Amino acid sequence: MTVLVLTSEEDVTADLVVARLNGTGIPVVRIDPADLPGEVALSGEYVNGAFRGHLSAGGRVVTLEGLRSVWVRRPGVPGARAAAPSGWLTEEASQAFYGMLRGTGARWMNHPDAAARARHKPWQLHLAQRSRLPVPATLITTFPQAARDFARRFPDLVVKPVSGSHPQEPPRVVPTSRVAPDVDFTAVAFGPTLLQRRVVKRADIRLTAVGDRILAARKAVAPGAHPDDIDVRFAPSDEPWRPADVPTPVAEAVHRYLREAGLAYGAFDFAEDLDSVWWFLECNQSGQFGFVEMDTGQPIAQCVADWLAGEGPRAPTHPHDPQGSMRMAP
Amino acid sequence: MQLFVLNYARPAEQLEVSTPYSYDCGLQLNVLPGGRIAAHDHAVMREFGSTTSTAGSKTHFDD
Repeated sequence: MTVLVLTSEEDVTADLVVARLNGTGIPVVRIDPADLPGEVALSGEYVNGAFRGHLSAGGRVVTLEGLRSVWVRRPGVPGARAAAPSGWLTEEASQAFYGMLRGTGARWMNHPDAAARARHKPWQLHLAQRSRLPVPATLITTFPQAARDFARRFPDLVVKPVSGSHPQEPPRVVPTSRVAPDVDFTAVAFGPTLLQRRVVKRADIRLTAVGDRILAARKAVAPGAHPDDIDVRFAPSDEPWRPADVPTPVAEAVHRYLREAGLAYGAFDFAEDLDSVWWFLECNQSGQFGFVEMDTGQPIAQCVADWLAGEGPRAPTHPHDPQGSMRMAP
Repeated sequence: MQLFVLNYARPAEQLEVSTPYSYDCGLQLNVLPGGRIAAHDHAVMREFGSTTSTAGSKTHFDD
């Protein structure tokens, strides 16, 4: 039984896992769906009440029935590197590729349906609340007056993109940023705006969940750090990530979150406040982990490899199907 | 007409970095010129930020 890894060639984080799988002797096929059609080819037939299919790439051929698990890491868009790419070809290639894979019964990390839903930050906040994780007061609005009212109730705010994505024309980044108390909110009318009470933090927490394993790392706010340096991704700091113990209520809430989300993998970001409360910020269903592993020595890649190599129950056909995701609960 | 949140945007670093490793189709891994697996060389990974939380942000926003 083969592990199928969907990612780009330059994804060295995936390399950490592929190398470990190679060490176990479990067959691995790594492909980028962007190379379909072309370097990646597929075929599947539905005949006499049965399905038979196979994928080939880089001289390797794998039967779809022989897939043990599928790791959706950093896949390109199907058809993107075709000789004549088009939106229509991408849709055709996506439907063929992911449609066949959905029928294989392989375990997913993460299932595309669960992943698509889990990317929505408003839904993440909703699910975090349901899971009993502390969530900072948050407003998402296009009403300038609602923003003004919110700022009166919570004078110390940050703003961040709703989607978490960065604008590309021209290429820009939008770090989580502090909002001045006297700011003009008129432009809130031009697009959904996410405002959140600033957590006065003493550390950032990255909690990586792999199946039923959770590994947390803590990066202390550097002494003398400027209070406007909110976003740990962009704030200058020499502080390393260090392993951290996970409070039991947080661990239980994280398991509830993953179970309901139907996720086998999630990278949670928390802000630890001055009272040691971990405030939920977001859960990246395909978050990076190499930088944490390098600093902490935590065996995240090994956990991912173990999960992908596991026999476990077959994956759900729907994120709420208990077979694929319930087993991750302790 | 600029969105409120874009008041806080800053130009993305457009660094055309040439990494010292390349993808080996046979191994299905990125390797350094000497054949060592690039991901196992922490110095290289740190220098090129290849596994950081902003790596791949242009095409993937799940960091």
